[in-house]
Amino acid sequence: MDTLSQHPDAGWWANGWVDLALRWLLGGLFVLASVHKIMDPAAFAKIIFGYDLFPAVAINLIAIILPYIELTAGLALITGVYPRAAAVILGGLLLGFILAISINAWRGHVFDCGCFASGEAALWQGTPGWMLGRNGFLLVIAWSITAFRGQRKILVRTG
Amino acid sequence: MFDLIKKMLMLLTVAAGLALLVNGLSPHGIPLIGQWDTEVGVVTADTDTAALWMDFEISSPQAAKQVFDAGEALFLDVRSRDMFAAGHIPGAVSLPLGDFDAMVEGFAAKIPPQQPIITYCSGRLCQDSHTVAQLLMERGFENVVVYIDGFPGWIENGYPVATP
Repeated sequence: MDTLSQHPDAGWWANGWVDLALRWLLGGLFVLASVHKIMDPAAFAKIIFGYDLFPAVAINLIAIILPYIELTAGLALITGVYPRAAAVILGGLLLGFILAISINAWRGHVFDCGCFASGEAALWQGTPGWMLGRNGFLLVIAWSITAFRGQRKILVRTG
Repeated sequence: MFDLIKKMLMLLTVAAGLALLVNGLSPHGIPLIGQWDTEVGVVTADTDTAALWMDFEISSPQAAKQVFDAGEALFLDVRSRDMFAAGHIPGAVSLPLGDFDAMVEGFAAKIPPQQPIITYCSGRLCQDSHTVAQLLMERGFENVVVYIDGFPGWIENGYPVATP
């Protein structure tokens, strides 16, 4: 048993392999989620427009940059480059998603353009309840990676 | 704490730089600012395409009604079958974007390429009518325009509605 790799009062969750599994899960999901947004930024921009929360001048910039934040932080988690910084970034994104979905659920805002293209996009987004539950679960994982103080497995750059 | 913020900024800078670089080079790239004002026209991230579209648009229900009254143009409803069944512009033909590939051969067999065609969908939040117009032009249809206020603009003005 490699006791040096663990914080003295840490439980099983402070195990480096558990941390690695959580990093790969969270990082992998964000990398996957970024791919179709990167392939079709115009469609993603329309989804952001549909949230009705952002000024018109910011919508395209968000659509261009956000997927690459997901991709970069996701890859950083997987490969072990500044994993804590990457987990804080993804946790911040998740908090933002949770806030946006909650605001729209609260004010009863549902975007329906009556179109074929965005209708398909809505399918992979899911219901507000499902998205909140999923994002809350992922936020716990991001917090767990952030709080991890043991010896990480597969680590290129600490921090 | 400062170290953490520094590393976060490094990751974010790499992400933003990569994003702007790839967006600038990619054929799927979009302008930095989009057209999201329904007063101006149909909303879209791609303002370059939107500017080209303007030449092929009927941008008020009143203008669409004039064309309708003249009776020469074929109105093409590209919304879903359900929406078409719930009500459409009288005389309009249903060609949902989702069924375009399956239906376009039959459509092209019946409609001559010179026939004036007006596509419409659900108004200025919907780009489907532009998509179908473009696909029809690519297939050789010569007189295709888009009525951008779509069915919502039509019923708002109390114009006649047909249900099959």
